[in-house]
Amino acid sequence: MPGIVCAVRGGPGSHATVDKAISLATQKGLTIYFLYVVNLDFLNRSTITRIHTVEEEMREMGEFILLTAQSKAEAAGAAAQGVVRDGVVSDEIVKLSADLHADYVILGRPRREGAENVFAHDQLARFVERIEKESGASVALTDPGSGQ
Amino acid sequence: MNRALRFSFVFALLLAGAFLVMAHEQPLLAQTTTPQAQIVGTVHDRQNQPIARADVQLRAEGSEEPLAETRTQPDGTYKLQFPAADAAPRILSVQVQRSHFAGQTLPLESGQVSRLRAGETVALPDLTLLRRVGLAFWIATLLFVLMLVLIATGKLHNTLASLFSAALLLGISYLGGAVSEDFFVFDFSGAVRYVDWNVIFLIMGMMIVIAVVERTGIFQWLAFFAYRLSGGRIWLLLAVLMVFTGIASALLDNVTTMLLMVPITVQISMALGMNPLALLLPEVLASNVFGISTLVGTPTNILIGSYAHLSFNDFLKNQTPGVLLAMIGLILYTEYVYRRELRSSGQISPVLLAKLEEGARIREPGHLKKVGWVGLGMLVLFVTGEQFELPPAVTALLGATALLLWIQPNIEEMIEAVDWTTLVFFITLFIVVGAIQEVGLISFIADFIGALVGNNLVLTMLVIIWFSAVLSTVIPNIPFAAALLPIVTFLSTTVPGADNKVLFYCLSVGAAMGGNGSLIGASANMVTAGIAERAGYPITFNYFLKKGFPAMLLTVALATVWLLVRFLVIG
Repeated sequence: MPGIVCAVRGGPGSHATVDKAISLATQKGLTIYFLYVVNLDFLNRSTITRIHTVEEEMREMGEFILLTAQSKAEAAGAAAQGVVRDGVVSDEIVKLSADLHADYVILGRPRREGAENVFAHDQLARFVERIEKESGASVALTDPGSGQ
Repeated sequence: MNRALRFSFVFALLLAGAFLVMAHEQPLLAQTTTPQAQIVGTVHDRQNQPIARADVQLRAEGSEEPLAETRTQPDGTYKLQFPAADAAPRILSVQVQRSHFAGQTLPLESGQVSRLRAGETVALPDLTLLRRVGLAFWIATLLFVLMLVLIATGKLHNTLASLFSAALLLGISYLGGAVSEDFFVFDFSGAVRYVDWNVIFLIMGMMIVIAVVERTGIFQWLAFFAYRLSGGRIWLLLAVLMVFTGIASALLDNVTTMLLMVPITVQISMALGMNPLALLLPEVLASNVFGISTLVGTPTNILIGSYAHLSFNDFLKNQTPGVLLAMIGLILYTEYVYRRELRSSGQISPVLLAKLEEGARIREPGHLKKVGWVGLGMLVLFVTGEQFELPPAVTALLGATALLLWIQPNIEEMIEAVDWTTLVFFITLFIVVGAIQEVGLISFIADFIGALVGNNLVLTMLVIIWFSAVLSTVIPNIPFAAALLPIVTFLSTTVPGADNKVLFYCLSVGAAMGGNGSLIGASANMVTAGIAERAGYPITFNYFLKKGFPAMLLTVALATVWLLVRFLVIG
């Protein structure tokens, strides 16, 4: 099922990514798959054992964030669905794109210098290459200041 | 080994540990009291604190073997049985030896010896032992500082850092001690004696209760109820959310409260089209402030309450009014700081409202009812338990067991809910802090602070509150409070007017409210920042500092005013 994969985190940083996905979807007549990844790495340093409960709450929050993006897309006349997954953000973007045989993947560029993830300046090109190689989708990048 | 078995095993091990320590104390307490002649006395240190487990021997000049020997009690007293058969006219003396102290010898006067031989009891003057700074002192001090640094910098997990220091202390004491006595800090039973089992069992019991409560969905329902109650007025929503979060933090732990309140608060804010940080920051600040209003609200209160024998009622009577005053100040402060963000229409689209309602439903109403009854029973026992000398740990265990029996949840999930790493952290922390007490570092610091504040109670209160508040913004407050407790105990006995335990409340205010001063000041802050970041609203160190530090100054100042009024004016 072809479409556009757009990973969102919520907040102002995701606005440009969501807008780009909506614009592309209306142009091409494709469905957007908004993706939210539940990642509890921030609990690594805390002694939290009730991971299951926290995960459920984060999932609820993710669904809500996706619902706001879906509402925006539908208001603009684009079809949109929300997908919540657990794991590492970069891996889940690749997996969902491959699973859906997506046409496009919309990625944001890092907002701040020195971000230590695949969205960092020095790693973004390699990540784009990986997505295109493993899923066959084309990657579209938004302006700096956007993306998950 | 399956989880249920592992739970039973660890639980039994904890119980066995506690009883072993108590049993170990018995021989010390049970000294023979035959009606023969005795030498009695007391041994204490320079701060007039009793010295327990000091070796006391009655020696005769020219004799290798002691005539009698015993060890001092926890209150520093000793009783030496004078051997009836010893009639030879010899010069006698009492020798006192204790690790990390310079030994002392007190020669007996001829009149005292004659009275002993006549079968009378002789009371000797109090003996003061002076601290000896040796290799063990530096080993314990370095390992304590290393633990603090490892925790503060995040190089090691809290539990691993304290476990590392405790294990190294014991390893060096045994292996190094075999080579030279200078390496010896304390033996295993000496180390375990510093563990406060009341704290361990109270935390464990409360963890089980919290695990049941959090599944009911009550937190999410409360947050949504706050929205309903506010009727779309955001300034009111902010105040109601702060009060709800505060009350939950006073009865449960702050981290759990924030873990469950933050996601639903983010959703409400997003639905209202406002910046979630305008609600999240006030919530976590309220959590850290209101948590100290009860004995079980924060780990530092649990530590302080157990150490100073402060009951649930003591906190309600002496701390809660100050906390309420600080909360009023905090609400007004946050309303002012976030006044721009609070300008929202208060309208939510029907789709988002439906989603919010769905997420905020009570998931287990039957369980919630049972939790309510058991919680009420626990509250009654916490409040009235003092009359039956019921330790809070027993109340927590009774409540936890009642819930488990009544609700019969999946026991494996309940076992997973008990945060064993935190319990190990506390056990090993007690050992590491016990080591610096054992070698005398705490005494030296107490001496220094005692000299600094003199006999001035107001100055002492201000020093403890503000010193602990400022340090708690950068140093983890649990090990810090644990280390300060013996110092506060010393000051409570030396500073005139401090025997009403006011200084312990000062420590409670400083150590917990100080956590609002920076992002790393409290675990609840870090958890809130973590979830907010996952929602696309990162809380930077500077952002938190800018909003939190003034809040910390304001709330600590208001709580200080209350403590001064409560203990100096009302009396």
